[in-house]
Amino acid sequence: MNNRYLLCAFEREADILSATRLAREQGYKIADVYTPYAVHGLDEAQGVKPSKLPWITFALGVSGAIAKLWYQLWTSATSWPVNVGGKPLKSVPAFVPVTFEIMVLFAGIGTVLAFFVVSKLFPGKKKFVKFERATDNRFYLALEETDAAFDVAKIERMFLPYHCVLTSENVELGYAGDRGARENRR
Amino acid sequence: MNAEHLQSPRFTPSPQLMNNLRLLSILGAVVTIIGIIFVPEREWASMLLAGIFLLGLGIAGVVFIAIQYVTNAGWSTVIRRIPESMLSSLVAGALIILIAMAGIHHLYPWSDSSLMGSNPILKAKEGWLNVPFFIGRTVAYIVIWLLLSTLIIKNSIRHGEEGELRYRAKSKTASAIFLVVFALTFSLASMDWIMSLEPHWYSTIFGVYNIIGAFVSGLTSITLIALILKRKGYLTEYLTGEHFHNLGKLIFAFSTFWMYIWFSQYLLIWYSNIPEEVTYMVKRQHGSWLIFTIVNVLFNWVIPFFALLPSWTKKHEGLLLRVCIILLLGRWIDLFWMILPPFLPDAPVVNIWELAPMFCVIPGFFYLMFKSLAKRSIIPAKDTMLVESLPLYHFHG
Repeated sequence: MNNRYLLCAFEREADILSATRLAREQGYKIADVYTPYAVHGLDEAQGVKPSKLPWITFALGVSGAIAKLWYQLWTSATSWPVNVGGKPLKSVPAFVPVTFEIMVLFAGIGTVLAFFVVSKLFPGKKKFVKFERATDNRFYLALEETDAAFDVAKIERMFLPYHCVLTSENVELGYAGDRGARENRR
Repeated sequence: MNAEHLQSPRFTPSPQLMNNLRLLSILGAVVTIIGIIFVPEREWASMLLAGIFLLGLGIAGVVFIAIQYVTNAGWSTVIRRIPESMLSSLVAGALIILIAMAGIHHLYPWSDSSLMGSNPILKAKEGWLNVPFFIGRTVAYIVIWLLLSTLIIKNSIRHGEEGELRYRAKSKTASAIFLVVFALTFSLASMDWIMSLEPHWYSTIFGVYNIIGAFVSGLTSITLIALILKRKGYLTEYLTGEHFHNLGKLIFAFSTFWMYIWFSQYLLIWYSNIPEEVTYMVKRQHGSWLIFTIVNVLFNWVIPFFALLPSWTKKHEGLLLRVCIILLLGRWIDLFWMILPPFLPDAPVVNIWELAPMFCVIPGFFYLMFKSLAKRSIIPAKDTMLVESLPLYHFHG
């Protein structure tokens, strides 16, 4: 697998959206898009598949709720039965608030941890800021340079209507949604 | 970037549709009047229900606009004409409630002074629950709401048509005042109109419960109208999945909030288990009233929650439409569940007398809505925030 990329920079949100959509429609492989803020519709323009994170959240929420409900039933009805105000030992309404809180806690913290794992973020990881203006006022589109037929001049022409301000070839990406990308240690 | 080149399409409902809606509404009203003459002990409550339902839709529309102004939200500008047009429902709903006040002796047991005298608990509440003060409060709530709503919406419409910022500023000030006043007055109004039907019972969370119920119904009706307009070929290029995603998220959140409040109320009543409070829930759980309790929770939370959980369903117009219809039905069930049990203590009865007021109010809502929507351009074309609300490709190049 190739790890060279063509980087194209744009100055406006509308331009990056249209350029990304066009590149995908023309059959170019989009490695990633770097923007200073979340751009609505970019996921759709990039053609990325919906994240699986919501399923992890859902599963964690459900398991947290079940575990906590079982735990409360076990502690107050099986392990050490306590009569509270003459209510039945297995008084589910009384357990709902805590079950709810634990569901939220599991789902919330679990999602953050799952996100860290999926995106390989961990404490002490070297920061990667390849394109400084991507955190300020520029939008970058990284295309995979797939083979010899990859024609930069043609792409530059293609992006002309979208005010492509800069293209640089053979860029290495420190991280991307791509297994072939090499770690950037400079 | 500006939206000057945008066309301002106008909504023109077919005259046949409008005639049918008007006819249905009048028919419902006639049956309601017959019901009031022949079965007053049942009809007044259903009429009150219909009035609160309609008023809730209208006032929730104003609340929606007020929230948009106060938070400086831009995304909703393209659909703002819809809640603006719901002001007519607020007026009509208020009118129905005022008419229902004529049946005060059929509705509110505390209006009977002989009962008040013999009952020490009710005697203590007499300072608040007496006929002149009650009617006075009802009129006061309605006057306050109408004044502030007209102020917000009049300026909102002018801003949309003329684009001058001072109208936006006026709407914003009125919105901020309205939101605070609304929270207080609507809580009190729901306690007066609904909670005092069973004057022994009280719940301090009742106001919040009703605010949320009304707001969910308002959100769903805004979404419903937006979906209908898009189906009929209006706003097709302006209304995108993102707008419906936002509306869907709001519906999802407030439906869940409704459940949260419902359960908060239930839990405390269940926990303390004291006669004045718990009889309310017992009444609603015995016999076939239990079905209403279950369906209430199903329609207002369980179904919408799981239906709107993934993000794609909020953008799926057909699915969102179905969820909206379920939630509007749920709102009626919720109000029925709150209002009718004292009048039908043995079992819930739903037949022509219970349904007639709703058959007046629902076609009436659409009729009034479409009528005021057709008065001016369907989008606030000159609104300074409109650009934030439209899909980006309108401004390309």
